[in-house]
Amino acid sequence: MRDLVTTALDAAASAGSTYADARVVLTSEERISVRTGRVEGIESSDSLGIGIRVIADGAWGFASTSALTPDAIRAAARQAVAIARASAITAAAPVRLSAVGVFDDVWRGPCEIDPFTVPLEEKLALLLSADEGLRTQEAVTVSSASLGFIKVEKVFGSSEGSMIEQSYVESSAGLTAYALGDGEVLPRSYPNSHGGQAIQGGWEAILALDLIGNAPRVAEEAAALISAMPCPATTTTVIIDGSQLALQVHESVGHPTELDRVLGDEAAFAGTSFVQLSDLDSLRYGSTHVSVVSDATVPGSLGSFGYDDEGVPAQRDYIVREGLFTGFQSSREAAAAIGRTSNGCMRADGWNRIPLVRMTTLSLEPGTWSRDDLIADTEDGIYFETNNSWSIDDRRLNFQFACEIGWEIKGGKLGRMIKNPNYTGITPKFWGSCDAVCSAEHWQVWGLPNCGKGEPMQVAHVAHGAAPARFRDVQVGVGR
Amino acid sequence: MRLSEDQVRALAARAVALTHADEAEAVVMANDAALTRFANNRIHQNVAEENTTVSVRAVLGTRTGVASTNRLDDDALAACCEAAVAAARVAPEDPAFPGLPAPAPIERIERVCASTQAFDAEARAHAAASIIEQSKVRGLSAAGTVARVDYAVGIANSRGIDAAMAVTDVKATVLSTGTDGGSGWASWLGCDASRFAPEALGDEAATLAQRSEVPGSLDPGAYAVVLAPEAVSDVLDFLGYLGFGAQAVDEKSSFIAGHEGERLLSELITLTDNALSAETVGLTFDFEGCPKRRTPLVEAGVVRGPVTDSYWAAKLGVPNSGHALPAPNPYGPLPMNLELAAGETRVDEMIASVERGLYITRFHYVNVEDPVRAVLTGMTRDGTFLIEGGRLTQPVKNVRFTQSAVDALANVEAVGDRRVLVGPEEGGANLTPTLLIGSWQVTGQTR
Repeated sequence: MRDLVTTALDAAASAGSTYADARVVLTSEERISVRTGRVEGIESSDSLGIGIRVIADGAWGFASTSALTPDAIRAAARQAVAIARASAITAAAPVRLSAVGVFDDVWRGPCEIDPFTVPLEEKLALLLSADEGLRTQEAVTVSSASLGFIKVEKVFGSSEGSMIEQSYVESSAGLTAYALGDGEVLPRSYPNSHGGQAIQGGWEAILALDLIGNAPRVAEEAAALISAMPCPATTTTVIIDGSQLALQVHESVGHPTELDRVLGDEAAFAGTSFVQLSDLDSLRYGSTHVSVVSDATVPGSLGSFGYDDEGVPAQRDYIVREGLFTGFQSSREAAAAIGRTSNGCMRADGWNRIPLVRMTTLSLEPGTWSRDDLIADTEDGIYFETNNSWSIDDRRLNFQFACEIGWEIKGGKLGRMIKNPNYTGITPKFWGSCDAVCSAEHWQVWGLPNCGKGEPMQVAHVAHGAAPARFRDVQVGVGR
Repeated sequence: MRLSEDQVRALAARAVALTHADEAEAVVMANDAALTRFANNRIHQNVAEENTTVSVRAVLGTRTGVASTNRLDDDALAACCEAAVAAARVAPEDPAFPGLPAPAPIERIERVCASTQAFDAEARAHAAASIIEQSKVRGLSAAGTVARVDYAVGIANSRGIDAAMAVTDVKATVLSTGTDGGSGWASWLGCDASRFAPEALGDEAATLAQRSEVPGSLDPGAYAVVLAPEAVSDVLDFLGYLGFGAQAVDEKSSFIAGHEGERLLSELITLTDNALSAETVGLTFDFEGCPKRRTPLVEAGVVRGPVTDSYWAAKLGVPNSGHALPAPNPYGPLPMNLELAAGETRVDEMIASVERGLYITRFHYVNVEDPVRAVLTGMTRDGTFLIEGGRLTQPVKNVRFTQSAVDALANVEAVGDRRVLVGPEEGGANLTPTLLIGSWQVTGQTR
């Protein structure tokens, strides 16, 4: 792989680039899914190619190819330079990159049991058994269970002299029981919705989830949702569980603090941000209970790596500290625009995509409360658990989330179950209303492997640590 | 340069021959794509990609397995075919699996344009510059894309399917924004780059941006709405995904389950999935190599459907409408070329008929809160206006809606006389007019 990268860098320089980097990436995947007792799919795939990113005439160009002969790579490098020169037609000022060190390094993610060595029969038996456990309730008419494994091997090289090899394995699993009510379908998932939990690691992580043991409980909760009360339309106190709060962090802290969005680079597609450059170290993002840190060094997280996809080392950096907005997630180009250096958030979805500013592991730091004490301290409210739906405006202000399940909180105790509860809010007001976060004992990193951004669309694998937290005066039961 | 139609056809046949199973299917996708992206009135990302993937489905009895690769050397291709067989070997029998489909005649429509194949980086950059100029001269900022794709798909199976087709598309989008909260949007989709008029596209977005400056507030509540084609396309997309796939109907998560033949929507609504339309883009066969049939989904408000593939057609005992997605997929067959029949009402007539309501250019970040009633929530974006006394009176800040798409389409009061081809984010293409809907639930507003 190193030779292919060197061939690309040499060809780009010969064609006239002033900067170039190249990534050769081999991605191998396996996915198994079962639906209502039927094996829906057993699928494996691999994808290998090279992406070459250059600056020429002060502008960016990128070309990628799955043909890895020296001639094809040289042709792609020349194409990247020609594209950069075309980009320069509209360039106002030449691209500037903030400084980064030169690294020759190897990084590997954690993996105890390589999931690609575990027999398909064993994986399938686990899923079929878990799926059977989901169908132990008559009301559950549809069930789904899935496993997914990804192995990535990549080499990054730049014209500045870096040459970095990285490899990691990701494993994911999840279950959902769908109960059929009167004109409604009510999902209940474990350990999370939208495919379950995803981590950087191997088969050991799947075994730790105990899918089979949890399936009957998931089915019972799905069935119980049919007769659960609807979400009242009111403004109240809410306690949000860790998995849902992870997505809340993602949408309302992660995306608005991506520096490329703030600078307008994503305006036409994902949108911009309510956060302005001038807000750094002055915007009150949330209450003093709210600290959010971007950390690409968390072991076993989907958001971890040794170096990002432009060769910047993994870092830990506060985005919000005790409620104060203190930092952006950035790239070398975006950081240079504000006179800073990159904090290493450039990530690409494979060899055929350019890196973009993406989240790593962006986490709400734990507080001091036990979950039981927090509920006991809440006189009246709703406990929300497991995301079902999410939406937020193009400046990341007005959001609305629906969850799979909720419970009334009355007199410091969880009460009646609530079906399909939702809540809405405005980002800084919502985070400003946070008055308690549960402790590290309740804190967990949740993998989020479906973050869409960019054109062509890229899907990033990111993660968020969170513990349950309490928010006051939240509007719930919207449109119910 | 991508593989030709003949080359993808030959590669698919080669993969089928290499797959030692009772039945085999190969899908080859050869892609040559480029996208020029601009923001802040300059090109900031400009990318190109060449890739060919081979996906193999192996069948042993009624057991199936799938494997894919983009490595085309003999060893890698053989390993991919063997991986598919190995997967099939461990899969349990699926009594409902009917076997791979047999060949059927496929309508040949020419959808390759030389002008699009020649739409290179320099031409795209000049197109982007033309779009940008329309905003720049008015003190606005333009962002968007000019994209070209040139692809060929070949599908073969051991029962004799041997389908291949090449397609070119151009897609362009532009967002124009000002400093006073105004923003406007325009997009274009077609297979022929020579018909793409970037200056006009840039002008449309910039004009809308100027018109939407200094937006005001709006109280939540039910409003009559005039939905422009981009907004209608989002509603149709979700309705197609949630309501008109065979799997959703079988699992009773679709609003049409048990109601086929009943009038559930407005008599003004006639919705068809039609990949054969002269006005649309894309393939005329599905990902099993079966012909995509023109499929009525709603006729004058009466729901029909759903769309099927070979598996779901056999399971439900209905014809195969040719809507398979690449195997395996968790959604079953889906309509990807929705076509809403045009009406007779001009947009200005719709606006004139509204005493108090909203004009909505497009939606943003729409998601599902209830699949059965297709309850959607999302935001408006890039041109939302208050209608008062039959006139657009003032722009309003983006609003949130929480609304059943089924209820909305049951409450259509007028259908526009002109249709636009809209390319959704998820792929496919929807041909749709403007709609006037009697009631739409606004549930919040951004700052």
